[in-house]
Amino acid sequence: MRKQSPVVVRRALETVVGRWSLVVGQLLLASAVCLYAGSAWAQAKTVVLKGGKLLTVSHGTIENGVLVISAGKIAAVGAAGSVKIPKDADVIDVTGMTVYPGLIDSESYLGLTEISAEDSTNDLIETSDEIMPHMHVYDAFHAESELIPVARLNGITNAIVAPQTQDTLPGQDAFIQLDGKSANDMLLSRDIAMPLNFTGEQRRNESWEKRKFPQTRMGLASQLRQAFIDARDYSERWAEYERQKSDTTKAEGKKDSPSPPKHDLKLEALLPYLQGKKTIVLAAKDASDLQTAVSLAREFNLKFVLNHISHSQRVLDYVASLNVPVIVGPIYEDPKDFERYDAVYRLPAELHKRGVKIAFASYDAHAVRNLPYAAGYATAFGLPHDEALKAITLTPAEIWGVADRLGSLDVGKTANVVVANGDPLNVKTDVKRVFIDGRQIPMTSRQTELRDRYSGQ
Amino acid sequence: MSRVTRIFFPVIIGVSLQVCAQQTPAAHNDVVIKNAVVMTVTHGNIQNGSVYIKDGKIAAVGKDVNAPSSAAVIDAGGKYLTPGIIDSHSHIALDDDVNEATSPVTPQMMMMDAFDYQDKAIYRGLAGGVTTSLLLHGSANMIGGQAVVIKHKYGASRDAMLFPGAPRSIKFASGENPKRVYGSKDQLPSTRMGNFAVQRAALVEAQDYMRDWDEYNAKVKRGDNDAKPPKHDLKLEALADVLRGKLLVQIHCYRADELLTEMAMAKEFGYKVRAFHHALEAYKVAGDLAAQGVAIATFSDWWGYKQEAWDAIPWNAVISMRKGVRVAIKSDSEDFARRLNQEAAKTMRYGGATEEEALKMITINPAWIIGVDDRVGSIEVGKDADLVLWEGYPLSSFGLPEKVLIDGDVYFDRSLPGFGMPHYREGE
Repeated sequence: MRKQSPVVVRRALETVVGRWSLVVGQLLLASAVCLYAGSAWAQAKTVVLKGGKLLTVSHGTIENGVLVISAGKIAAVGAAGSVKIPKDADVIDVTGMTVYPGLIDSESYLGLTEISAEDSTNDLIETSDEIMPHMHVYDAFHAESELIPVARLNGITNAIVAPQTQDTLPGQDAFIQLDGKSANDMLLSRDIAMPLNFTGEQRRNESWEKRKFPQTRMGLASQLRQAFIDARDYSERWAEYERQKSDTTKAEGKKDSPSPPKHDLKLEALLPYLQGKKTIVLAAKDASDLQTAVSLAREFNLKFVLNHISHSQRVLDYVASLNVPVIVGPIYEDPKDFERYDAVYRLPAELHKRGVKIAFASYDAHAVRNLPYAAGYATAFGLPHDEALKAITLTPAEIWGVADRLGSLDVGKTANVVVANGDPLNVKTDVKRVFIDGRQIPMTSRQTELRDRYSGQ
Repeated sequence: MSRVTRIFFPVIIGVSLQVCAQQTPAAHNDVVIKNAVVMTVTHGNIQNGSVYIKDGKIAAVGKDVNAPSSAAVIDAGGKYLTPGIIDSHSHIALDDDVNEATSPVTPQMMMMDAFDYQDKAIYRGLAGGVTTSLLLHGSANMIGGQAVVIKHKYGASRDAMLFPGAPRSIKFASGENPKRVYGSKDQLPSTRMGNFAVQRAALVEAQDYMRDWDEYNAKVKRGDNDAKPPKHDLKLEALADVLRGKLLVQIHCYRADELLTEMAMAKEFGYKVRAFHHALEAYKVAGDLAAQGVAIATFSDWWGYKQEAWDAIPWNAVISMRKGVRVAIKSDSEDFARRLNQEAAKTMRYGGATEEEALKMITINPAWIIGVDDRVGSIEVGKDADLVLWEGYPLSSFGLPEKVLIDGDVYFDRSLPGFGMPHYREGE
């Protein structure tokens, strides 16, 4: 494309506006802090976590370490004695505890559902059409969801929120932080990526009565192809319009200015992906679906990461040759009847062996808190422990383009930090403290309130 | 067909016949497991312990056991040995024949009639250390069908998988599921009032049926040759057995108020509730459950999937246990059945269950719920030799069954290729 379409120009403008409002927001926040210094949103004073075992993820384990949190950032990390403890800091003794970066869930439905069976509480997916790239989960994200405190009490501090998977193009993901004053605070990145689902589950073939196009994979693929071709044509039409307009302006005296093409939100939404500016999350399970989906993505030069690949054990070398990260799992998915019981459990280890970058996801809303256990279980099937922890911290931070801020205990990063009484990947481990943006999160949820109300009786 | 295949074809048949013949192991095993951390469940852990197995039973347990030199030796190498895991709520191996959802009262349904012994889920549970499961009717009906108890001897014949002499259990259900299933068809029940009215009416009908038969039998006993027998009715016969206390009553129930109502109804009609299943609000009325001796079979931390699961908390198991309720952690899912050890371990984190308490929730307690605690669920002399040897600590994210024995025979061995089953190889 020779010229930017107006769509892109508008997006750029929005970014500017967005930045400006961010600045204003920070000013407002600063004044709010002055007014309500005691509130949970206040930037707390400097906190020092002393004596814990620091799992930095980026530079190994530090026994008897010191971590300093200041102004929402990690200000210092190191062994006891090597780090200066600021005088006015709150020093918390975490001897015997493990300290690690906040965990990142690479696919969740947080904020899109409360009670699965109650439709009035669900904003998970628009199933009226299979091609819905103009759906933005940020429009539905419910910041006050009771599920969010439940998840963060187990150390999950950031997550991808995705629409559910019954459409091939169900809409665009957001990247969230699991604490903040409002949705605006918590939505760190809107439209961060777009799922393209090709698992067979998107076929409209539930029953004979309800069958309609596309009821086969051929249908799904042709529909996807048409959508991307339409989007390409659309951007060409706008480019052509821009050219004509510019020519008209130059050639003075000509009266007829060109009329602009009609706007189409669906096709506009596809453009950043078609231009390779944003990432497609390409979901497939069986090897054959994986290969079809990859061919499609290549046909349109899409930038992609892989998702699931649960039953692609026979093509793992091919997967490695693609040289893209894989969000793997859920590893609890049943193997096929012809597969050994651990065929899916072993996938993370097999991918790691082949040099593939992996990340884990809960693929859930209520069970987001169990994210570290999937990583833990994968270690029993051969994934090195360090890699398993990395797959829920630094690797997802890299995949989602936030590794400069999140994913490890490094100076300058956002202070999303977890303190627990043991191995973060073990089901037995109890999380004791969670910091998000340097704020110590109250260790309460609707569930702890119920526990406290009834356990004493 | 190529020449090679033709030549080998008879050989292949020969092999497969042999494999078939091997599918049920020898009836008399003679094995000693040495050098294990024996987690007996009922009388502590034995470091460097041994278990001697003879003819499918545990013949000796201790630091040193007297085993004949003929016994095959399994050196545990210091690994953990636990009883086989018992799943007190499962719907596997039923090929989706879980709910006869055409009437809210179907006690004459026998899950045995749907039991699909070739379902691979039995194998996958076995590989997760499960040796016994209670296969229940679903929760569409207020009164569902009668359960079947199986041992996970994948590859064995259908009848060899049935738990010999296990008591009969029947599934009741309440709450959202029955009212949704029948309400959506504009039938009774569509409310909780409707639910319990249906249940009460069925039990009253069964009382009348029982009375008619009692009267008839009394007449016959008196020598009244003109006495006309009442009509046999399978449905009422099953319910009469509930009232006679011949069936263990397993009730799917979530909300605290419904737990109380179900217990009141049991009292009114004179039967006992063996266990509440799911029972996600048991922690709110745990004292009442404990007073009635009713157990619960619950999830560790599943919640929020429907309105009646909204108050579920992961501390449910331990709060209820501390108030005297016998607690089991169950799967209700093909997935959870493969890692119940991890689910039980969560109770150590949520509420601080001890190792032994957590282990009880997937062994002796579910065994009691099924009514087979005198046979399985702990490592004790005289019990069935259903055992799991673990690689790694079982109550963690990391423990994996290395060998699983049922009735003294190794049914799963992780070190073997293919499916890891000594007696069964597919496709040969």
